This record gives sequence, C-alpha cells and structure tokens, in this order.
Amino acid sequence: MDDLIKNSETINRLLARYGVKFGIYKNGEFKEQLFPFDPIPRIIKKDEFSYLERGLRQRVNALNCFLSDIYGKKQIVRDGIIPEEFIFSAKGFLAPCDGVSPPKNIYSHISGIDLVQSKNDNWYILEDNLRVPSGASYPMIARELQRRSAPDVFTDNSVADNRNYAELLKEVMDNVNTGGINVILSPGRYNAAFFEHSYLAEKTGAVLTTGKDMVCENDNLYYIDYNGKKQRVGAVYRRISDEYLDPMTFYEESVIGIPHIFEAYKKGNTAIINAPGNGVADDKGIYYFVPKMIKYYLGEDAILMNAPTYLPYYEEDMKYVLSNFDNLVIKDVAEAGGYGVVFGRSLTSDKKSDFIEMLKSQPRRFIAQEIIDFYDLDILDENNVRVPRKADLRAFVLTGKTTKVWASGLTRFSRNPDSFIVNSSQGGGFKDTWVLSR
Amino acid sequence: MGIITVDKSNHLFWLGRYTERVHTTLKYYLKTADMMIDSDPNYYAVLCEKIGISDVYGSSERFKKKYPFDETDPNSIISNLNRAYDNAIVMRDYIGTETMAYIQLAIDDIKNAEKSNSPIADIMLVIDHILAFWGCVNDIIDDEQIRNIIKLGKGIERLDLYLCLTIPDYYIKKEYKRMKNFLQKSKLRYDESILYTLDNMLSENELNYESIKNLVRNLILE
Repeated sequence: MDDLIKNSETINRLLARYGVKFGIYKNGEFKEQLFPFDPIPRIIKKDEFSYLERGLRQRVNALNCFLSDIYGKKQIVRDGIIPEEFIFSAKGFLAPCDGVSPPKNIYSHISGIDLVQSKNDNWYILEDNLRVPSGASYPMIARELQRRSAPDVFTDNSVADNRNYAELLKEVMDNVNTGGINVILSPGRYNAAFFEHSYLAEKTGAVLTTGKDMVCENDNLYYIDYNGKKQRVGAVYRRISDEYLDPMTFYEESVIGIPHIFEAYKKGNTAIINAPGNGVADDKGIYYFVPKMIKYYLGEDAILMNAPTYLPYYEEDMKYVLSNFDNLVIKDVAEAGGYGVVFGRSLTSDKKSDFIEMLKSQPRRFIAQEIIDFYDLDILDENNVRVPRKADLRAFVLTGKTTKVWASGLTRFSRNPDSFIVNSSQGGGFKDTWVLSR
Repeated sequence: MGIITVDKSNHLFWLGRYTERVHTTLKYYLKTADMMIDSDPNYYAVLCEKIGISDVYGSSERFKKKYPFDETDPNSIISNLNRAYDNAIVMRDYIGTETMAYIQLAIDDIKNAEKSNSPIADIMLVIDHILAFWGCVNDIIDDEQIRNIIKLGKGIERLDLYLCLTIPDYYIKKEYKRMKNFLQKSKLRYDESILYTLDNMLSENELNYESIKNLVRNLILE
C-alpha cells in the first residue's frame, strides 16, 4: 500500500495528462477541473462483494420489473402497494412512455446504486440512479495507471480486474441493438462528464456524437457520414437527460436532442440506453417503496437495506419527522447531486420553522432519513497525512442478457472533515474500489 | 469507429492545422528571439507582419513574454494550442487517449515554461511533445482516412505559413507535394480547378507566393 501512497502525485499527474477532468460552471463560466484522486483504495472482501452482488442484482431486477409494470399494467398501484400519487406526480414519470416497451423489455441497462457502510458493518442503499449514472470511467483509468505505478501491489493482492467495464457496457449495447451501429450521445464538450463520454466511446468502439450528425427518417435513426451516406443506428447510449432527448416529444426548446428519436424508439427501431422515463423509479419518494417492490415482484425479502426512511406524506411519518427533526436528514425529492439535502440539526431556529412550514405544506416533496453513521475511509490530505473522511460507493449494475455487478465501483469521498456530501460537483474526490478475488 | 462525418472531419482537419500552427510559429518564435539578442532587437515586428498578426506588443521584451504565453491574445501560441486541444478532446474516440495526451503535455510544457527561469529554453519541450503527437498519429491511429485528414490540416497550415514567411521555393514545392498526397487520401472535397492551377504555378521556376497562398486557402471546400 505504501507504494500506492508514494506514487499518488504521479497518478494525479497522469490523470491530468489523459484529460481526466470534469467540467463545472462557476459564475456562468465553464471551467475544467481535475477530479482529485486518492491513492488508498476502498477494499471489499470477496464474501462481502458476493453479498452486495446478490443484493444489487435483486434490487435492479425488481426496479426493471417496476418500470415495466408502471409503463404497462400498473398492477403494483392497483394492488395498493404504492399510492398512485407517488407515481403520477413524480417528475420522472413521463406520460409519453406509457405503453411503450423498450427492446427486450430492459429499462435500466446501467444502474448506479449508491451505498454506504455503517459502523456496525451493515451496507445501506442511499439512492438508485437509473437515468444517466456516471463515474465508472474514473476508477477504470485510475486502476490502469496504478497498475503501472505500483505493479507489485497488484501482484501481492488478488484484486479483481475492473478494466472489463467497457466490455460489459458493449455487451449491454449489443444485447438490445436493433440492427446498426452503437452510438454514445453526449451533450458535448462542455458537459460535466464529457471525459467519460469520450473515454467510453474510445473503449467500447461506439461512435461518440452530439446528435448533429444524426437524423430520423421513417421512424428509423441514422448517422450521416461525410458523403451523406446514412448508417442505421441500433442503440443509443444517451448521456443527456430525458427532457432534452427529443424536442418533438419532450422539452421543445432542446437543441441537444434529436427530433423524432422517441418515435424511432417507440416503434422498436432503436434502443435507448437507459430507457426514457426511468426517473420515476429513482425518485427519492419511490426509494422508500423499493423493498416492497422486491417482495411484490420477486417474492423475496430485500437483501440490501434502505437507510431508515420516512415519508412525511404519511401522517404517522410526519409526526415522527417533526418530533425527531434534529436527528434526521431531509431530502428534496426533486433535487440531485447532493443539492436539496438539509441536516435538521444544522438549521437555525428561524430557518427550521420556515422549513417545517414548507414540509407541512408540501409533504410529497420531501423524504426524511436517519443519519447513518457510516464508516470513514482514510484519505491523504494536502500534507500527505492520512485523515478519515466520509465516503460512499457507487456500484454499477449492468443489465444485458443477465444482470451483472461490475467488480469495482466509484468510491467518492468528502474532502471536508465536517461534511457528508461526497459529490464531485461539491468538491469531493474519488478512490478506486478493489474487490478481492480470493 | 471510423465513420467520418462533416463535423468530425472538421475537428480532425483543424486539429492538424492548429498543432502545425503551434509547431511552426514556435520554431520561428525561437528564431526571432535569437535574432533579437544581437542582430535586430525589433525583428519581432517582421515576424508579426509576415504571419499577418497585429503588433500589439510594442517592444521585443513584451513580445517575448506575451506571444507564447498570453491566453487573452487570440494570436498567441498558447491560444492556438488551446484550440488544438479543443479539437482533440472531442475526437478522443478517433485519435485515442494516448495521442490526445501529447497535446495536454504540450499545454503543461508551455505553462511550466512561462513560470520558469528560462522560458525560451523550456518552451522547446512543447516541440518535443508536438512531434510525439505526430508520432502517435502515425503509429496509433489505424484508420488511414482519419490519419490523412489530420495530416492534410497539418500540410495546408504548414504550406500557408511557409508562404507567409517566404521560405525558399524548394521547401514550398516539397510541402505542396506532401500536402497533395494527403489531400487525395483524405477523401475530403476540394476545388479541382484550384488544384490544377496550383499544379501549374508550382511547376514554374519563380513562385508567386501571394497568389499561391490565396489559392491554398480556398482549396478545401466547406
């Protein structure tokens, strides 16, 4: 491990060399920043990973069943397992997707599931990301570089090779490809995750496009080459959000989408990865119901636990939230990226009263969770001293012919000792995640 | 991979042009800096005039400090290098992470040179990394058309700059021949009548630099 620490500066220099950056807008200006890498990996033992693998596969399979049901028969609502308000008022529920079945009935091909491990060793799911989860490319390239800088560490430790992510992703794209090329649709150079889009295109052999070169004709999607020749597109791994995907169906002002792509998808002529409309399943309000979904669709108890969650929508839960406000973290279901998260104890009394009023008037807008005292992981601070910091794990679950969990993940950490927020957009860094193979 | 679209061909072409612009202007910056030591302290003004940029520098010292390093000056070497990077970063899937890295390294070199005690000596590292970039283009990029579009950009830019700098005709003819080879292999659209005229003009003993330059600038069709 000392070798990894010793070479920390080299790895960060190499990451800069290879353009491993993320974009951020500050005061209206686009800036590229390095994503700070910490050399001390998170280590997950083989047995522990097997447990996580079972739980994650179960969860994602149930979420896929849920999406198929919600945009189909809606049996889970009819059976009273989930109140319909939580479905139809969710921002992520897209009416145009109702009745549309994606190729091979797979909705969430790439799922980013965020977990934390508490001090009593339990793993908890923090949130599901089923729209455009990002981050796999960072540990992929960091591993490649660490293997070069400290080869002996990898000889002495049996670490599962994580450089197969591109292979898994290609399998997922090929599995649902309806005939034609695979493309990665990016909003472009100034997107925060552009490095990832271009790197995954390079590694999977898919064509990277901003959509300018694509057109829909007769409900088919085409990529147009220099001579005007059209190549059919069989699968689109889109890295733009639902509302911008097709100005003819969703947000009509969108200039980064492809007009009529939704029609091509609806007719089954192209696959969209992940399927539009998945936001209904990763809504923070729906999160509460995932263990119930697992029971309902798979007839199994959830292997992985949710963080204890309360829905102020339910009277009983509202009472609990109000009487335990200071011990809870309140999340706005419409926000993401670490935004809209309020720790009850951090509010002044004025702000607390205002917040409670808002909570009472818009109970569906919030969820409340117990604060999990999760494990700190050591990181190196600016003086190369090991210090403990909060960290989570984003596991990547890929659904193709079968559902597989990538034997690695993105471990994000907070650089601020007093913060639980690990998002890169808020100054967090990342670590590699080692899964031991024996 | 390997499907060339109008957008991608533009990025590849301009990647070639901007990297070559950095390469040639840097070489002439070094030559100019040398001339200003003990031959002609205002020689920088000659370079500015030849390559068609306004003399916003006012003195040789300011030129030495600003022309390579000033990111607010659109004509500076670093501005051109940033443009090369902007074209490279969107073509990672075509040119490869390894190839792209050499543009990033050249940017790092120029930024480090600015802060060093001997900026003019240290800036030479940029040339090393530009040459390594060209090595990667040859060695790593499998697709012949992609390689040739980048090289066509390089060839057009070099020819243009050599004509501006009134380099002896032997070199102009040599670079024209190389560029023509890339032009055919790139499969980009060009004006055949201009090429025909250029062939004739380049076969003459005395070259009309100004006319050739204008024709070269209009050779590639949008």
